[in-house]
Amino acid sequence: MKARKKTNSELFFNGILNENPIFRLALSMCPAVGISTTVMNGVLLGTAVLFVQVFSSCTIAAIKNYIHPRIRIPTYTLTIATWVTVIDLMLAAYVPEAYKEMGIFVKLIVAFAIITMRLETFACRNPVGASFWDGIGMGLGFTFGMMALGLVRELLGMGTILGYDVLGFRPLLFFVLPAAGFFCVGLMMAIFNYMEIVYNRRKKV
Amino acid sequence: MKEIFRITIGLTISCLVAAVIMGSVFAITDKAKKHNEHVNVQDTMLGLLGFNKDKPAPRDLRFFSIYRYTLDDSGATRLAYMVPVLDGGKEKYELVVITPAGEFVERFPLKINPEAANEGHERELALRSVLRPSTGLSFADSAILAVKGKERLAYLLPSEFPGFKTFIKVILALDPMFTVIGLEIMEHEEDPGLGAEIVQPYFKHQFRGKSFDRLRELKVIKEPLPDEYKTALEKKAPDKGGLSKADLETLRDKYRDEDIYAITGATISSNAVTSGVINAAKKFSYRLKTLEKVIAAQRLAVSF
Repeated sequence: MKARKKTNSELFFNGILNENPIFRLALSMCPAVGISTTVMNGVLLGTAVLFVQVFSSCTIAAIKNYIHPRIRIPTYTLTIATWVTVIDLMLAAYVPEAYKEMGIFVKLIVAFAIITMRLETFACRNPVGASFWDGIGMGLGFTFGMMALGLVRELLGMGTILGYDVLGFRPLLFFVLPAAGFFCVGLMMAIFNYMEIVYNRRKKV
Repeated sequence: MKEIFRITIGLTISCLVAAVIMGSVFAITDKAKKHNEHVNVQDTMLGLLGFNKDKPAPRDLRFFSIYRYTLDDSGATRLAYMVPVLDGGKEKYELVVITPAGEFVERFPLKINPEAANEGHERELALRSVLRPSTGLSFADSAILAVKGKERLAYLLPSEFPGFKTFIKVILALDPMFTVIGLEIMEHEEDPGLGAEIVQPYFKHQFRGKSFDRLRELKVIKEPLPDEYKTALEKKAPDKGGLSKADLETLRDKYRDEDIYAITGATISSNAVTSGVINAAKKFSYRLKTLEKVIAAQRLAVSF
């Protein structure tokens, strides 16, 4: 399947750059478009996704030999739903301050494509250690993507960064609206692809 | 056939394992979660009354809850209020049943610990033990009276109404003349950056100081929020670009009878909150008056 095994650090950076969930894999577009209105939202949702991804990846990697191939998708969904519920309950009970902010995001994660997709393509074929690093990379990549989108949309839409007034006015309210999410994702993808082309050209020279 | 059997068993086992994990986590965390919610509600109520860490609540400040139920007594609709009463210096709950028009029907003393009355199922048990078994029973809402010594400070009304996406849960604080003291958004799932702005001081504090008569006529207007009003609502410290106390007072007076300025891009959420607040205040004032008439006629020794 693969020419050689990837090292842990390669797996880690793979999720952030080469296979960034939002800009390269174009997965989990719903939250990317819907919730990336502020930097803080990106950080919160990204952290929540990071935890769920790591826990789910490790669980599936650990029990992959016992899953009947016909029912692997229901098993993935069940695993993700269980972890989301556990994290949701734990946060509500022990970190109420964080839960106040993150509560509405955590429950959304059950339906995220990126998590199921990583379980299907990576965790069910790799050992626990590799899946752990892949999960961390993907989670951070997602956080990074959401933050980048949030930065652009918050700055242009509301003139603030992390809630602090930077511009003093609202340049384009349009950027806070869901439709602008598509524009931002598209533009960011273009930038990512352009950077890759430039990088490859330089390598050849 | 054998394959199907294996798949079924596999799925059943996974579901059972997941259920056991979720169930046990729920059992472990439930108490802490409820406690947090309770503390959160308490803090919010104190905050609405103007008390915080720097200005702690006085010792003789007490909260009394009234719970309202609707009864279906073989086709006839009845309202049932669980009212806190003083019985020989001890606090108890009494159930007062009235018709929707406000006529007294019957009353029962309830065997329920005032502390346990917080829990919905505890209340239901106590109510079931006095009502006829065929009576239909459903919880409507509750209201909290803040009493300092003998003086009524405020009414705190937990309320719930549909927003743009799902329900918005709020606590509305009214003074004894039903003037709005404050509004706090407890739970909502509106869009971040748009409807979610209802939690911002510049929106929710617009309700402050609106008298009951003004509130009934309150509308939502789609005009930009004046800058000076926004600063006054956000109440920043003078050294952080805020206003001095005197300026704040004049601005508050200036805008006291103003309508509610809608949030840009979230007219529906703004409308929902405004009409929710108006409804909650209107209905509560009517119900309280009806209930107080009954209480006076029945010579109930209420604790508030």
